[in-house]
This record gives sequence, C-alpha cells and structure tokens, in this order.
Amino acid sequence: MPIIETRGIHKIYGNGVHANDDINFEVEPGEIHALVGENGAGKSTLMKILYGLEQATSGQVFIRDEEVAIGNPQDAIERGIGMVHQNFMLVDSFTVAQNIILNRETKQGIQIDFQSAVSDTEALSREYGLTVNPNARIEDIPVGMRQRVEILKALYRGAEILILDEPTAVLTPSETQDLFAAIRNLVEGGKTVIFITHKLKEVIEISDRVTVMRDARKIGTVETAQTSERELARMMVGREVFMQVDRPEVTRGASVLQVDDLTYADDSGHQLLKHVSFNVYQNEILGIAGVEGNGQTELAEVLTGLRPPTTGEAFINDEQILGRGPRSVREHQVAHIPEDRLTNGVALTSSIDDNLIIDRYYREPFTRRGLLNIDSIVENGANLIREFNIIAPNGAIPVNALSGGNMQKVVVARELSSSPELLIAAQPTRGVDIGAIEFIHQELVDQRTNGLAILLISADLQEVMKLSDRIMVMYEGEIVGIFPNDESLTEERIGYYMLGAERQPAEEMERYA
Amino acid sequence: MTDTRKEAPDQPLSGAPLLRKHLLLIVGGAAGLIVTLFVMNTLFDGSLEKMTGTTDWRNILLVNALVGACIFLFVVELRRGAIRVLLTVIVALLLGFLVTFVFNLDAADRFARGEFRVQVVSDAEPTANDDVDLRFNRVRGGDFNKPNVVEPLSEVAWTFAGADGDLVSLLAYAKNRRSEVDLLVELRDDAGTVLAAATSATETQVEEKFDDLVSVKDAVIEGYELPADGVYTLYAKPEEIATGTVLSEALSQSQLAFEALLLGPIERVNRWGVWIQDAITLILLGMSFAIVFRAQQFSLGAEGQLYFGALVSGIIALNSPHVPGVILIPFIILASGTAGFVYGLIPGALKAYLGANELVSTLMLNVVATRFFEMVLNFQLKPPDAGYVASAKFTENAVLPVIVDKTQVTVAVFLLVVVVFLSWLLIRRTPLGYEIRIIGSNLRFANYGGVNSRRTIMLVMAIGGIVAGLAGMHLANGIHRQLILNISFALAFEGVVVALLARLNVLVVPFTGLLYAYLRAGAQFMERDANVSFEVVRMIQAIIILLITAEALVTFFQARQKRADIDETGHTVESLEGADG
Repeated sequence: MPIIETRGIHKIYGNGVHANDDINFEVEPGEIHALVGENGAGKSTLMKILYGLEQATSGQVFIRDEEVAIGNPQDAIERGIGMVHQNFMLVDSFTVAQNIILNRETKQGIQIDFQSAVSDTEALSREYGLTVNPNARIEDIPVGMRQRVEILKALYRGAEILILDEPTAVLTPSETQDLFAAIRNLVEGGKTVIFITHKLKEVIEISDRVTVMRDARKIGTVETAQTSERELARMMVGREVFMQVDRPEVTRGASVLQVDDLTYADDSGHQLLKHVSFNVYQNEILGIAGVEGNGQTELAEVLTGLRPPTTGEAFINDEQILGRGPRSVREHQVAHIPEDRLTNGVALTSSIDDNLIIDRYYREPFTRRGLLNIDSIVENGANLIREFNIIAPNGAIPVNALSGGNMQKVVVARELSSSPELLIAAQPTRGVDIGAIEFIHQELVDQRTNGLAILLISADLQEVMKLSDRIMVMYEGEIVGIFPNDESLTEERIGYYMLGAERQPAEEMERYA
Repeated sequence: MTDTRKEAPDQPLSGAPLLRKHLLLIVGGAAGLIVTLFVMNTLFDGSLEKMTGTTDWRNILLVNALVGACIFLFVVELRRGAIRVLLTVIVALLLGFLVTFVFNLDAADRFARGEFRVQVVSDAEPTANDDVDLRFNRVRGGDFNKPNVVEPLSEVAWTFAGADGDLVSLLAYAKNRRSEVDLLVELRDDAGTVLAAATSATETQVEEKFDDLVSVKDAVIEGYELPADGVYTLYAKPEEIATGTVLSEALSQSQLAFEALLLGPIERVNRWGVWIQDAITLILLGMSFAIVFRAQQFSLGAEGQLYFGALVSGIIALNSPHVPGVILIPFIILASGTAGFVYGLIPGALKAYLGANELVSTLMLNVVATRFFEMVLNFQLKPPDAGYVASAKFTENAVLPVIVDKTQVTVAVFLLVVVVFLSWLLIRRTPLGYEIRIIGSNLRFANYGGVNSRRTIMLVMAIGGIVAGLAGMHLANGIHRQLILNISFALAFEGVVVALLARLNVLVVPFTGLLYAYLRAGAQFMERDANVSFEVVRMIQAIIILLITAEALVTFFQARQKRADIDETGHTVESLEGADG
C-alpha cells in the first residue's frame, strides 16, 4: 500500500503552461524516493500540489489509500506531509528552538514555554541524529545546520512524509554526507522521504527508487539498484547525454587578468575580500571553489566594476580596469555571467532581443546616427538564438517566458558573443537542467581551448573539478589554496580547504598563482 | 516594432501569423473609422449640409480623424488587452448607471414638493363668517415640503363656510408647470368625517372647466352639494408616491444622465471642443508620466513642471506684445519645454546623485512651484486694477491659433502629434529609450550591463518635465489665454491615471487621454443637463477608474473560466486557446 499516491494529476497554470500532465506517482512507506527531472519538468509543481501550495487542475491525491483534498499547507501538515524548501523559511533573529516551535508553541499561561521548546528540540535532534544547537540564532549558524532546523521543524509538526526540495544545492560535500546520514536515520525511524534533485550521483547514492519526469510527464519509476546515472540522464533528457566534458590539453598562454592585493570591505566595514592576488591566463579555466558566502560573489562584482574595491588593483592586459564602472570593464573585453541571473543577468519583462544587446546597444550597428537599428538588433537576436540553441519562437518574446536553462543560455549567448578575452562565470549552471548544463559546459571548455581566459566561480565542487585547469579555494574572503587540477586533487582534500581546516603554505600558493 | 512587443503583455507565445497581424490592422482601422464617422455624424446630426455650413469643418474632420487614429493605435498596440479595456469600461459604465439609479431614487420627491394653490369654487353666495380661512372663489396657497425649512408644510386643513345645498368644487393644484407636486384633496365636515376625496383631475377638467389647473395630477372634487349649513374643511396634501413611480422616475432620470454622459460631449461643436482641449492637456500629462514611469521612477513632478511651463510661457507672452506670432509661438513652446526640463532635472539629479526618493522630492517641488507661481502672479503679473488674481489677457500674437471656431481647439493638436511621435521615437528607437526601458525592467541588469543609470534616470525625469511644461503652456496660452490661479485644476494627477490606463505605452496614451477627457467632459454635461450632483459624477468616474485599473480582477475571472473549460473538455491545451481567443 503506497503511503502517498497521485492519480491523473493535471496542472495547467493561468498562463496556459501545462506543468503536470497525467501524473501517476506512488511512494511506498519507509522509502527514499528520488524525484528527478530537468528544470521545468514539473517536479516542483507536483510537490507543491502535494504540499497544498498549488491546486491540481484535475486528478486525485491519496494518502494511505484514502482520497484527500489538500487545500493549503496546513492541510498537508495535518496529514503528515512536511516540506523543506530550497530557500529556507526561518526567522533569522530567532533561535533554533524558537524557529522549530514557531506557531506550535506550548504555553504556560500566556507565556511561551521556551524551556520545553529547548528540551523538545534536543530530544528530537537526538532521536534522528540531526545535530543542532537549540539556543543558537539562525543567523549565526551554517547552512547545513539551518537545513537540519528546517527538517526538525517539519518533524516537530508531525511529518511522516518529508519532501526535500534540492536539499544538497547549498551544501559542501561533507555536509551532504551528514545530510544523507540523517536521511537514512529518518527512514530507519519510519519516515518516508521524497528527495528532489537533479544531481544524479546523489540519486544513485541515497535513493531506493527514482521517478523521472520530463516535459510535465512522468517518464517512469525505477529501482535505483537496477539503473545507472547514464540511464537516468537519458530518461531525463530524452536522448543520450555525455556526462563527461571533452577537455583537450592546451598550454596556457599569457596572463590576461592580473589581480593584485585586492581588498573589499562593505559599507558596514566587514572585510569580504582580504588581499586577494592571482592571475588568469589565456587558454585556461581557473575555478574558484568555496562554500558560498566566502567572498566569491564580491570578487566577481569587484572585478566586473559593479562594486568599487577598497584597495588593490586588477589589470587586463596590463591596463588597470577598476573604479570606472561596468562599462569600462566590459570595454576591456571582459564578459560576465552573473551569479544570480534573475536579478542581474536578464531583464525579465524585456524581449530576448533587448536582453541580448545590453553590452553593445550603443555601438554600431545597433545604434546608427543616434537611432536604434531594429533590423540589426533582431538579426543579432535571431543569430544568437540559433547559435546557442535557445528554445524560443522568436526574439520578441519576453525572457520570462523562457525556462531557467534557456534564460541562462540567453546570458551565455550574450556574454560569449561579445568576443571577450576574459570571462567571469559565476554559477553558470545553477538551476539549469542537464541538457543545458551539458551545453554550457562544453561551450565554456571550447572557448577556453580557443584562447579565452575563464574565471569560473561555482558552489558545485564537481563542476569546478570537471572544468577547471587550476582550482583556487576561497575561505572567508581569502585565498587558502591554489592547485593545478590533476589526479592528485580530490574533492575531500578541497573540502578541507573550503571549510578552513587547512591552508596552503604561502610559497606553494605563489607558485601556482 | 519588433523590439517593442513587450509593451503588449498579451502577446501570445507563438509569433502572430501574418493573417492575424493584418486582421489586427483591419480591426483597428475599422474601429477608428467607425468612431470618426460616428462623432462627425453626431456632431452634425448626420447632415452634410450642416457640416459644410460650419466654419472650420475640415479641421473638425481632421481632429476627428486623429481621434480615429488614436483608436487604431490603441487596438494595434494592446491587441487583446484592448478588448479587456473596453469590457471594463462597459462594466464600469453599467455599475455607474446603477449608482446613478440609486442616487436618483429620490427623483420622485419632486411630486411631494412644490408650490400649490387651493380654491373652493362655487356660484353660491358666500356665507358670512369671518372665522374661516377660505372664501368661495378666493385662491390660497403655500409651498409643500420646502427643502431646508425647519418645519416644512406637509399638509393644510383650511375651513370654509357654506349653506345647505350649495354646489361647491374643491381644487388643489400646483402653482405652475415648474412645481410638479401631485396633490390629494378632501372635503371634511366639522366633525372630521371625510365627505368626498379626490387625487386627480380629468383632462376635460384641466383643459376646459378650471383654468387654474395645471395637470391631471392636480386634485378636483367637482360639484359637491353641501348637506347642511355649517363650517367645512378643505384638506389637502401631496399624494403618497407609489413605489412604481419612484423606480420609473429614477430610471428615466438615470437614462437622461447617462445620455448626457455618453453623448453630451459630442452633441455640439463647442462641447466637442471642451473634450478635445481637455484631452490635449491630459494626453501631454499622461505622456509625461508614461515616459517617467517607464523607467520605474515614480516621479509625480508633472504638476510643478506644468506650473513652471505655464509661468515661463505666460511671462514671455505678457512681455512681447509686438513680436509676430510666427516667431513668438515657437519660442514660447521652446521656452516652456525648457522650463519643464529644468524643473524635472532637479528631482532627477537629487535622485540619481543623492538618492533622494523621487516621490517625496517631486511632491515637495510641486508645492514650491505652485506657490512660486502664485507669488509671481500675485505680486508681479497681476495688473494693479484687477479685481481678482490673474494676469492680463495675452495679446493675440501670444495665443495659440485656434483651428476650430468657437472652441479652444488650437494648433496644440499638431504639437501633440509631434510630441507623440517624438516620445515614441525616444522610447523605442533611441539608445536612451533602450536604457529607459531596461532600467524600468530591471535596474540591476542595466547597471550590470554598463548602462549609466544615474544619467538616464536624471534625463528621463527631465524629459518627462518637457512634456509637462508643454501642458502648462497649452493651459496658459491655449485655453485660459492668461495666467490664473490654480491653472492646472489638479489635472496633473489625472495624468497618472491616463498613463497607467495606457500601461505606460506612449502610443496608447493618446487614446486613454481622449477616453478620460471624454468621461470628464461627459460628467460636466451630466451635471449640467441631468441634474446629477457633481459628487455622484465623481463617484462614477472613480468607479470607472478603479475597475479599469483593477485589471487583476478580469484576469482572475479569465483564469477561472479557463479552469472550468479544462474540467469540461478534458484538459487539452487547445481548449485553452479556444477559450481565450
């Protein structure tokens, strides 16, 4: 008897998007069920329906063979469904215990009984091996612990079925291992876990069964033991996917970007970058590894002119580029794939064509005699749409009509087509589906082989290791190690540096910088 | 127009097929043509001779053709959104009708109110009795339920003396045709018993027998023979009004009001002129807001810029009595635009370089501008002998030449066409316009891409100022022909509505400006022609604006409709599009 089952779920959004098409989905009690699919495949929609955040257009949901109507998250919680969102929903200034009991407070008179909140939290935390400090404030604890708080919160509300939405996206490798251990504990304790992801390696590692979705439909459910990453990728994308990037050996050329003792402090005086110095050379990808929030974002924004440095300099081909704004940097042939494409990389309500010319609209042939040249703007759009395989009927539609992967292709297309000498790529594949990841990876490597210098910033260590020629690790705004990416380098070793547990000796660092 | 498709939010995802694109042009063109013809037809009662007999009929035709062109642009630019806007206007008008109806429920009150006369008509000799109120054949009267009186007269019981066998007729009637009071009359003996009663008169009685009667609503007891000597009472009061009467009166009043609202502005050329001249001001203001809002700058500075434009053009006009108009007018236009530009640049610079919130700074600057205007007007420009605060009338050379006789429809019409074209060019065909659109869409993206957003923000606010300055010039040199206090009549803020209705699309602003001005003019005539109080008119206007603005409501119903369709037809995407199209 499945613990949760959907029959014939259809979801059609107000804008006509068919997000779920006849989904029959079953989860057995006590299993870890992975739900995989590309972005826009409909897995989040399905989970939102189960959690009451969206209503199905038609179809039924059964919990333990009993048909249920889940009108809102409150209903879902009452029926034992808990969800841990990708973006944590915690009150930063509250303590862990306060967050966990929020809205379920036991009271003594009119006072909230914080003592029992702390002891409840401790008990729960011990039961499932989810270590947290009940008295720490959320803002002071690391991401991994915040996630455990979210899980505990769901358990405290009596969740029997836990939906984890891309839980590993924000974790370091060792934190991921901790999470997996906790998930196994939960299942041993009789809980059921639905695990949404698009990292196939994790699916193979943790799940009992996998359901694959593509284009709003369910492609199939398979036993994890009887499948492989390659098989799953094929199901997800609908064709053969080459997981490996073809990265030919090339000798690196001259130094393109030279960063010299760069320091950046924000308005409140926090030192976010401390004496950062390094080079990026022609024909190479320099990958920056590090847990998010260790200065990578600031580094990219300072180098692209979006923030002024506090001290220090950066040179492109021996010309100082900092302090004169983004356009000046771009005119030195620097392209930038920004970390958060929705806020920085695109204007959602503007057309694809308009989005593709932000760095060049004022130049010939896009502006002629003071007027925009619509023909060449449209032509530029059409060419890039074709070249970069952006799925869109034409360049006139707004970017927000595209899927995440295609939005990212718009950014990549614009940046790579500006004939740059240096590309700063921050999280180029975040939230992008497998097919698009494959495309973007190959494109980056090809460009590097053709001479481009690339500074790659990614929270996905596997990505960094797959693409980079050299890897630089950042911890708390400092460079703690620079390594050539050869066989001797392992994820575990980089992980130690990422967590600040180890630090490369200065002379060794200088050798590789 | 390929890069500008985002201005039409209803753009279907698939590229519009060629036929559909042409269909849109045809529908838009037809709508424009129909409206042009309809307006011309109504203005001249469908008579060609009357039209050609009117001075400047060619210009009237030209302006109406431009009105048609605005409708064409509205349809072509908003596509399906245009239907939505139209539906909303219709719904709003229906609701407005309902409100008018409710407010007219007291329309039947006039039957219970008004001056009346009573009379006892008899051929008999009057009985000598000094204590009675009435004598045979003498008229007495009063005013029933006079408004604003502490104790209004609601009934009268007046006595008269008569002898056994006297033949009397009792009349109670409205004083004249203007007092519509509907009366009841009774004859009572001195014990108070009702001997006879009447609530109406017959046609013959009104037409032939009793000259004083006004209508059949008057009451007559004819030829009653008094049973005994003694004192009798004539009792009279307004008749109770039946519910049916109340409702049908309210309905016919509301119909009258709505006729005035809907057709009033195009009934005669001078009224049409009021509509067009208001529309010019509103379109200029709407354009000013549309340009500024396009960059997501919520500057409300148009009011102040308008005052500055008006002041500058007024001062020039007052000081150049001998410069020929051909030179003076273009100079005034240029100067007022410059004044608006400068006054828009100030909050722009404050925002761009000091981060001052544009909403606050423009509202403050508005106060500065209006007070400065008043000060200059009061102490510098007002002629010493003037009885009220206003400048001297401008000389003819400084007044925008009128193109339609007996109206204030001036060459500003052509200026407007140029402004609309240039605004379109700016927003959609210049690099600056691209920057404005991108900043409006996502400021951070613009910065990331290297746009100098500070400069653009400053410029866009200043450019909006130019157009607002021109609106001030139009008010001063086109409509009032002098500087007066309160020259904008708070029109500036109605420009916000015009811009929002047009969804900030500069090509739709002319249509929404015309629509809004039409409702304003209609409301004026509704008040004038149909005796609907101005408050009600404003309420109806507000309802219309609210509904049109609350587009979400319509979207909501559409979404529900879609859901229902899917349930019935078995969830195919095709059925969706069918329901939509």
